[in-house]
Amino acid sequence: MLLDIIIIVLRETLEAGVLISILLSISAQRNIGVLWLVLAFTLGVVGAVVYAENLGSISGWFEFVGQEVVNAFLQYAIYCSLVFICILRRKNSSTNYLNLKLLMGVAVSLIIVREGAELFVFYSSFIQGGENWIKAATSGFIGLLIGASVGALCFYSLITASANIARIVQQAILSLVAGGMVLQATQLLMQADWLTSSIPIWDSSWLLSESSVIGQLAYAIFGYEATPSLLELCAYLIAVFIITIASLIPRNTYSHNMKPLR
Amino acid sequence: MKFIYNLLIILPLIIASYVAQADTPIVNIVIRDHLFYPSELEIPAHTKIKLVVKNEDSTPEEFESYELNREKIILGNKQAIIFIGPLKPGEYPFFGEFNILTAQGKLIAK
Repeated sequence: MLLDIIIIVLRETLEAGVLISILLSISAQRNIGVLWLVLAFTLGVVGAVVYAENLGSISGWFEFVGQEVVNAFLQYAIYCSLVFICILRRKNSSTNYLNLKLLMGVAVSLIIVREGAELFVFYSSFIQGGENWIKAATSGFIGLLIGASVGALCFYSLITASANIARIVQQAILSLVAGGMVLQATQLLMQADWLTSSIPIWDSSWLLSESSVIGQLAYAIFGYEATPSLLELCAYLIAVFIITIASLIPRNTYSHNMKPLR
Repeated sequence: MKFIYNLLIILPLIIASYVAQADTPIVNIVIRDHLFYPSELEIPAHTKIKLVVKNEDSTPEEFESYELNREKIILGNKQAIIFIGPLKPGEYPFFGEFNILTAQGKLIAK
């Protein structure tokens, strides 16, 4: 049971951990502080609690598919934030830095709302069920620490890399995470029957199962899906294409005084 | 003009989607004492189904399946609707993520 709880918490924190570490490394590169992260994290936690507390009524919306629709909206909103972050992170000016902080804050808050609400509901089951929630909390804390460690590893790898390599890796991971967001949102809308489902175009679970540790890591980082439908694949590819193009928009206010990474 | 042309193409698809939804077979599953009842269900292959999951426990559960690409939280004493398929013939395991040791089941598409 303890291992199951660790895995559940790890799954929910891994994607957020990776995304936050990338955004934090962008923030460190531009020397724009961490206050935005503290505020975004706090707002995200409050939002997660509010969302979880109202999940019962939200689930009843749109003929009992409200949960899918709201979660898909959150995922698409995170994707949009990431696209604009990719555009703004190439431009150095105080206005752009303010917008960058705002967008990074929105992305972090929304991903915490999305993942945190599930954890809140999960832990509420222990409290309601009268089970040993201290044991559950301890196991969850271990899962949280592993997720945070992966994020920390990612962050320190990026800030110790050369500026060019860091920029390429940041963009690559942001694009893949963003693609994964759109894929998950598309899946949710198919689950709600708002988009048409179809038979998967391939099954790569024999090569990498989604339930394996590596499969879960791949799912968290680049939205790995063993049995994608054509619509899911198209949504993923289009999302990655758009965010990659957005990152290539010419910079018109580039400053050569940008703080280099170590 | 192009907009009207596109609308003429999309509109029948939307209407067809709603008509198809009305004909979607409904399959019921109950969660009780952290178990699925029935734990095995036969469903028609190549057909979209509407899965109605009723959680009779007081605690929440998360219906999840890697094979079906489905994931949904169902609060205690609530029910949820999950659209599944169309599926190729085969077995599709699902589980309750919050009680993974006991809450196990599978859909068999034939």
